[in-house]
Amino acid sequence: MRNSGRLVDILDRMENGPVTSEKEFDLILVAARTQALVKEYELKFDGVNIINTDDDMADRCFHAGLTLAVDAGVYCTSNRRRLTWTRREIEDVIKHSPRSMTIGFGRDAISDVHRDPEDPRPPTIIGGPVGNPLPEELFLPVMQSYIQEPVVDAVINGTLDSVYSRVPRAGSPWELLSGWHEAEMSITAARRAGREGISIGCVQTATSDIAELSATSFGGFRKTDFHHIAMISELKTDYKLLNKMVHLIKTDSIVHTFCNPIYGGLAGGAEGIAVMGVAGMILLQMIYMTTTHSTSPTHPFFQGCNTTPEILWGTSLFTQALSRNTPFLLVVVTTPVSGPETRTLLYESAAMALTATVSGTARLMGPRSAGGTIPGHCSGLEARFAGEVGHAAAGMSREQASLLMQRIVPEYVDLLQTDMRGKRFDDVYDLDTLQPTAEWLGIYDQTVEEITGLGVPFS
Amino acid sequence: MKDLEATLPQMEEAIRSGDEKQAAVLADKAVEAGAEPLEILQGLIMPTLRDIGDKFGRLELFLPEMMMAANAAKAIIAVIDPILKEKEQSGASFGRVVIGTVAGDVHDIGKNMVSVMLQVNGFEVIDLGTDVPVNTFLSSARSQEADIIAISSLLTTSLPYVKDVLAVLSETDEKDRFKVMVGGGPLTSEWAEEHGADGYGKDASEAVTLARKLIG
Repeated sequence: MRNSGRLVDILDRMENGPVTSEKEFDLILVAARTQALVKEYELKFDGVNIINTDDDMADRCFHAGLTLAVDAGVYCTSNRRRLTWTRREIEDVIKHSPRSMTIGFGRDAISDVHRDPEDPRPPTIIGGPVGNPLPEELFLPVMQSYIQEPVVDAVINGTLDSVYSRVPRAGSPWELLSGWHEAEMSITAARRAGREGISIGCVQTATSDIAELSATSFGGFRKTDFHHIAMISELKTDYKLLNKMVHLIKTDSIVHTFCNPIYGGLAGGAEGIAVMGVAGMILLQMIYMTTTHSTSPTHPFFQGCNTTPEILWGTSLFTQALSRNTPFLLVVVTTPVSGPETRTLLYESAAMALTATVSGTARLMGPRSAGGTIPGHCSGLEARFAGEVGHAAAGMSREQASLLMQRIVPEYVDLLQTDMRGKRFDDVYDLDTLQPTAEWLGIYDQTVEEITGLGVPFS
Repeated sequence: MKDLEATLPQMEEAIRSGDEKQAAVLADKAVEAGAEPLEILQGLIMPTLRDIGDKFGRLELFLPEMMMAANAAKAIIAVIDPILKEKEQSGASFGRVVIGTVAGDVHDIGKNMVSVMLQVNGFEVIDLGTDVPVNTFLSSARSQEADIIAISSLLTTSLPYVKDVLAVLSETDEKDRFKVMVGGGPLTSEWAEEHGADGYGKDASEAVTLARKLIG
């Protein structure tokens, strides 16, 4: 791709960048600078209107985030150096970033395209547990339940909790084997669902560099699948993550990267999340030459969810900032606290689907049900629902969406600190037919009716 | 006396604003003016930090402010600690905790939140960082004479290393010597119970409650 030619330059900056202590990077260059930029650019969440409708604030947020990207750079924990770029260098790279990409192959090839706020085209729908741990015996049926949903354009795997009944250990041969096992099983799931060409988000089970390299080679995951590289919170990388980047670029694979600013952490509050979101997404392009830029800002107390009003607003602001000022293919992950067979799962999913779609995300991903932490608490039905909301929200104004949010968010927000994990997949789906149970489908149907009544135009 | 009346509130403000240098200067001034070090520790530092921790628990302030407040408090403690030792007065921590993110995992912000929350709530914390080998948890706990080993893990593939810590403690009859608390994404209270950990905390606030309970 046209954005992939800077490999040696990136490694040179990794090797020769300024040496900085991690404490100075965290507290001065990141935390203090973020707060100063929030004040300087007058970014403010009013506490009421969850979706930003102020284009000027979105643009100010972009410039605040760009400034943070220039001032902080990316910290490489392996050698304590910062990879830095000038504003001009960053602007040049942004200009040539991909604004469309085809993933998958054959009949299930799909094109992601850059979207603007209020874009009438629906986002690409990536359904899947987003790394939620899955009992090995449920991996195939769970993944098939997502792949079989017609609204799902591509799929993202869960994490296998065992490989041939053995628990994979990080950095060991078991981890490599688990990456291959994930590849074999998810491709089988795709075949069983009649969608062999569907693009699969990987490698979820095996996060080490050696495991990614192994499973992303001949006979494993395919070049048309989308391959993950993380940025460690906040704004950090290391040799292992950069190893993945080198491998994926040299094998011409699709690079999907993510950064998840932590609410209440070094980024501070809602406004800080917005600035960090912009800086992080820009720096993902700078260090990884990424195809897609993904995010799920994280709450420190509610199972890592991202459906609180503050995080929804921060996400809306930085998504708009980036979609208005860059060609980036943005990806927003929904991470609800709730699990299957709860009404709140669908309301949380609707909240983020609306927020992200009207703000200009290219892809909606997930939902990562039950915070992505309770084994097997996920199912394809919530991906269907979230995808349908994403489609319904295409072309909706931000003002209208913001009004809808005032009816949707109260349905779950006071319950976030309670146990809403719901039920395991085999309690909410018939394993023989791979269809949702009457109970779960009933909740889905009822919620569709309620949300339609609020004004979301389900087709 | 008048000096002290002015200095103590200023010291509290230095903690709250995270001003390490000013905190140290004011600590010297307070000691010279006749302040009792134990009173500074128990009457000023600990309640101020506890209040800051409570505010973080409600997200009225955030991790950087809490970290800087803890650092400012440490600057004061560095001044008064030698005097406390001289007087054979207890530096008063509720307990000593060795904390780290387990081998194979480099996530640290959640662990850092727990680490700082424990500190502001009166625990002495030795932070081992991330990707911490099993043996390092154990050797540090032994050499530091820790009360609690706190392990963070956000990756399923790192859970075997958490189990290893628990298994070694069990095999070496050190199970009663150290309490083990766990937390992080794939960890649950059910996992903790099944594998012999002494407790699970779902977030930084719960970790403090758990640590207090484990110390007893």
